[in-house]
Amino acid sequence: MPTLFQAPASAEASAGKPAKTTKKPMKSAEVRSVMTPLTCFAVSPKGIRFETQQDDEQVILFLRQHIIVNVPWVLVAIFLLIVPTLLFPMVLGNLKLPFMIPAGYIVIGTLFWYLITFGFILTSFLNWFFNIYIVTNQRVVDIDFVHLLYKEFSEARLDKIQDISYKSGGVFAALFNFGDVIVQTAGESPNFDFLSVSRPETVVQTISKLIEKIKKEGRL
Amino acid sequence: MPLGIPVIVTLSVKIGILVALLLYAVFAGIVIRQEQLMAAVLEEGFEPILRILTILHFAASVALIIFAIIIL
Repeated sequence: MPTLFQAPASAEASAGKPAKTTKKPMKSAEVRSVMTPLTCFAVSPKGIRFETQQDDEQVILFLRQHIIVNVPWVLVAIFLLIVPTLLFPMVLGNLKLPFMIPAGYIVIGTLFWYLITFGFILTSFLNWFFNIYIVTNQRVVDIDFVHLLYKEFSEARLDKIQDISYKSGGVFAALFNFGDVIVQTAGESPNFDFLSVSRPETVVQTISKLIEKIKKEGRL
Repeated sequence: MPLGIPVIVTLSVKIGILVALLLYAVFAGIVIRQEQLMAAVLEEGFEPILRILTILHFAASVALIIFAIIIL
C-alpha cells in the first residue's frame, strides 16, 4: 500500500509535547503515535478502536480539542479546592450568628464541597476526553459527549466531503497552534466542525490527501 | 452566650442535607453509566482508570450519606 500520509517529524504530540515514538528510523507509513490520556493529536495511533470501525478501516488521525481548552475549568477547580481552607474560616469567623453551627454540619459541608469539586473535575475531564474527532482511510467521525446520558456519533464518508477549511484566531490559538476545521459534506450528510484541534493545517492537509487518494483509486 | 438552634430548624437542615446528598449520589451513578457508554464507543486503554475514578466518586457520595446520617 502506498504511503497515505507523510507525517512530518514533529507531527505527533501528546498534551502539546512531542509524542513518544519508537527510536529506530521508520518509514513514514509506520510512524505511529503512542497514546496517553492527554493526547490531543495522534497520527495512526496504536490501540485505538471505535464503535462501528470496520476491519479494513484504519485510523489515520485521532483528535481531541487542544489541551489548553481545559485551562478555564482547571482554574475553577483550583479555586474550589482552596475555598474551604482559605475562605470558610474567614467567613465563619466574621459571621455573627446568634447560635453555634454544630461541628458535624461543618464537617459534612466541607466534605460535600470537596465531593462536588471532585465531581466537577471528573465530569469536565470526561467531557474533554470523550469529545473526539477521528479521520480514517474511509470517513471522518465526530464523537461528542454533549452532556450526561447524551452522546452524539456523526460520520461522513470521505467521498461525500466537498470542502475543507480551517480558521484559527486569537492570541491563544496562535500561541498554541490550534483552530477549528470545518468539513462540508454533500447531500444530507452532516457538516463537521472540529473545534479547537491542534495543527488544523495538518488536519486539512491530511484529509485532502486522503480524498485525493480515493479519487486516484477511482472510488469517487 | 450563643443560643441553641431550635430542633425544627436542625431537623429541616438535616433532611435538606440528606436529600442533597442523595441527589448527588444519583448524579454520581449517572456519571458511571455515562462513562460505560462512552467507553463502549471508544476503546483506548485509559478507560479502566476513568471507570475506577467514577466508581470512587459514587462510593464517596454513598459513604458521605452514611456518614451524614451517623453524625448529624
